[in-house]
Amino acid sequence: MIKDITILIAGAAGQGIQTIGTLLARVCHRAGLFIFSSDDFESRIRGGHSFHLLRIGTRPLVAPSLNIDILAAVNERDYEYHRERLGPKGIALINSDTKKTMESHAFYLPFDASAKAAGGMIASNTVAAGALLAIIGAKFKDFETVLKDNFRDKSEEVLKLNLKTGKQGYDIGRDIEFPKYFDFTGGRHGRVFMTGAKAAALGALAADCRFFSFYPMSPGTGIISNAAQYGNELPIVIEQAEDELAAINMAVGASFAGVRSLTATSGGGFCLMTEGLGLAAMTETPVVIVLAQRPGPATGLATRTAQADLLFSIYASQDEFPRFVFAPGSVLETFNTVKKAFYLSEKYQVPAIVLMDQFLADSAGTETGAFQTGHEHETFLDQETQMSQDQAYFRYKLTGSGISPRKVPCLSDALVRATGNEHSEEGLSSEDPRVRTAMVEKRFRKQVLMKDEMRMPLVFCEDSSFYLTGWGSTKGSIMEACLRLREEGIDVGWVIFEDIWPLDSHRLKTLLENKKLIMVEGNATCQLGSLIRQETGIDYVTRILKYDGRPFYPEYIIERAKQIMGK
Amino acid sequence: MAAIQFDIENENEWCPGCGNFAILAAMKKAFIAQGLEPRDLLIVSGIGQAGKTPHFMACNMLHGLHGRALPLATGAKIANHRLNIVVNSGDGDCYGEGGNHFLAAIRRNIDITLLVHNNKIYGLTKGQASPTTALGMKTEIQNRGTVSSPFNPVATALAAGAGFVAQGFSGNTEQLSELIVEAMSHKGFSMIDIYQPCVSFNKINTHLWYKERVFDLKEAGHDPLDYEKALQVAHMGAEKIPTGVIYKSQSPSFTDRLDVLKTKTLFEYGFDKLKMNDILGRG
Repeated sequence: MIKDITILIAGAAGQGIQTIGTLLARVCHRAGLFIFSSDDFESRIRGGHSFHLLRIGTRPLVAPSLNIDILAAVNERDYEYHRERLGPKGIALINSDTKKTMESHAFYLPFDASAKAAGGMIASNTVAAGALLAIIGAKFKDFETVLKDNFRDKSEEVLKLNLKTGKQGYDIGRDIEFPKYFDFTGGRHGRVFMTGAKAAALGALAADCRFFSFYPMSPGTGIISNAAQYGNELPIVIEQAEDELAAINMAVGASFAGVRSLTATSGGGFCLMTEGLGLAAMTETPVVIVLAQRPGPATGLATRTAQADLLFSIYASQDEFPRFVFAPGSVLETFNTVKKAFYLSEKYQVPAIVLMDQFLADSAGTETGAFQTGHEHETFLDQETQMSQDQAYFRYKLTGSGISPRKVPCLSDALVRATGNEHSEEGLSSEDPRVRTAMVEKRFRKQVLMKDEMRMPLVFCEDSSFYLTGWGSTKGSIMEACLRLREEGIDVGWVIFEDIWPLDSHRLKTLLENKKLIMVEGNATCQLGSLIRQETGIDYVTRILKYDGRPFYPEYIIERAKQIMGK
Repeated sequence: MAAIQFDIENENEWCPGCGNFAILAAMKKAFIAQGLEPRDLLIVSGIGQAGKTPHFMACNMLHGLHGRALPLATGAKIANHRLNIVVNSGDGDCYGEGGNHFLAAIRRNIDITLLVHNNKIYGLTKGQASPTTALGMKTEIQNRGTVSSPFNPVATALAAGAGFVAQGFSGNTEQLSELIVEAMSHKGFSMIDIYQPCVSFNKINTHLWYKERVFDLKEAGHDPLDYEKALQVAHMGAEKIPTGVIYKSQSPSFTDRLDVLKTKTLFEYGFDKLKMNDILGRG
């Protein structure tokens, strides 16, 4: 039987709601269940209203859901805050040492008191996790295994406390009836459960990225902190720069010297990086920038999500130059896209920007596809050291493809000369109008080939009346909304962009001609819709936009789509 | 070996009489003294007349953006710590636009040599006050006199913990080339602030003005290992200008502090596909 439940774990910042979610996810993942989780939190370290959303199912999940089956509230006020989101048959577990009165669906449970009695308030989350796991049908020995693994680096005492409190919670939960429980009979499987941020880090490592420079900024930092986990195993250097200007310039410097480099940031940091982006373009030095979007302008909403930097990333920095812009739509795709971004950035000697957002970076999903290395780590560097005369090497040699042989400095007699000034073939500043024209054209010759590397958007259901059209992190919600609408007999398909720029207008026009597009975007001006119109002359029919800093849920798209289609 | 091997067929764009010519000559002399050839050198520079320096000599070159030469050089050094990296910057480039990077490079103790062509004026943008312009000095824009006090790069570098701080003067290429040799042989971040006249825009701090004021610290018996004395030298004021090594102390450089770079440069490592697949398999 297909089962699909959503648990909302609510609490204040610093109360460990993610810890509860992680424990649950690990037990469910071991049992072969599919998970999609997302985090909603405020820009503060303590207090406020945060929640962790955990969707668990017997088949693959690609999006979060708003139909809450279980609400776990760390404080009573969190229950009051979120209770209206609870579905009609949902139940609530509320942490309370005093209140005993039971509403029909609300259970006041002594998580804190149990933990305190067992020897430490700190294990209160383990009590809650135990209770939740019992309710959804998990076996205690699976929970035990996960706890042992989770606390393997901690003292015996800490593990003992957590096993004890876990059991207490489990026993509390056993008494609560929940009809949508799972069997937990699944065994070994090769599936992966991880966050978008981790997938981005692994994608970089799988493409042989060895240098990561960054300045901390939510939600981009998670990509770097994930990469840092591998510092003992892989030859990597991670450097926290003094600012984003330094971060991008360090990445360009390292890349110039022959090491693949990445920097990760959010919109505000990317603003500072735009001059460095131009330097990468002018010096034709590869670099990968992961831009995890959040609402702006200025500080905006630091821990929230948005899709409003699409046009900014395409046009960022002065004048014109070719670049890649990608927008992966899932965890696995983030891995593959970052990997590909390194390969293509080096192949064409252009900067590559991977657009993520808070939702994608912090969400975790069960992926059925494989995370593997491919050919992307292979270098395009000309490493020939036998070079008799330096005059023979021109860093910016004019070629038919626009791609010049790229060497690293101090490896041969060939002198590598790069400059952010307009330059001659040998890399010396030049103000000659013929040189200028030739160099602009050389750089743009690459874009012709770059377009051929770009995949067209995914189109689902040819000949549908309407197409929900989006890009990046909304992919899962759009797909699920579309399928659910179709189950209700509503004729709708989807068009989802993952490779954004450069855009092959001709191919895109052929693909989208005569399709009625309903744009679904996390911004206020319908940026992709505008871009499609600009590049192909095809105008969208209407749009579903959201710019409240929160992610798109399938339910929201379904509701709006029905209104639009008059259903 | 002769300076000629560093020559390049590229028209020099500096004004006749510019102090930069002497700095360039001192650089070449210092490279030759160390047995370095053009292929052994990576010159990184920012924007301004100083930033153009690597365009006028044979070398590997990364000519970047205004103020950002130090982070570029830092990235290149991390990627390949065997590179001999010299940074050419100016008073506006390094102490103005790139001030934060200057402090961070000192903290990192990244093993590169920073040469700051300090003419106390903006040359390439035609004569505005720079961070080191004297208080009250008139320029076309600061036409009632420069309002801010001048930045003291040597004192700042000392306070920030720099391990090699020297003051050079373009009018003494003999001493300057020796300073460059010493700075480049120092393991860790080394900086030489180099006074130079700007013949076009600074009519006060001329070659002659400096000539009348400079003295050699070595001849004066200064001990560059004495931090307190170094601080005194840094605060001597503008009437007597000390040149030479002001302070020297050794500590592990940034790349020495990284275990991963103990045996190989980051560039030299190969891609370990098996290990990567093992990591990916763990999920």
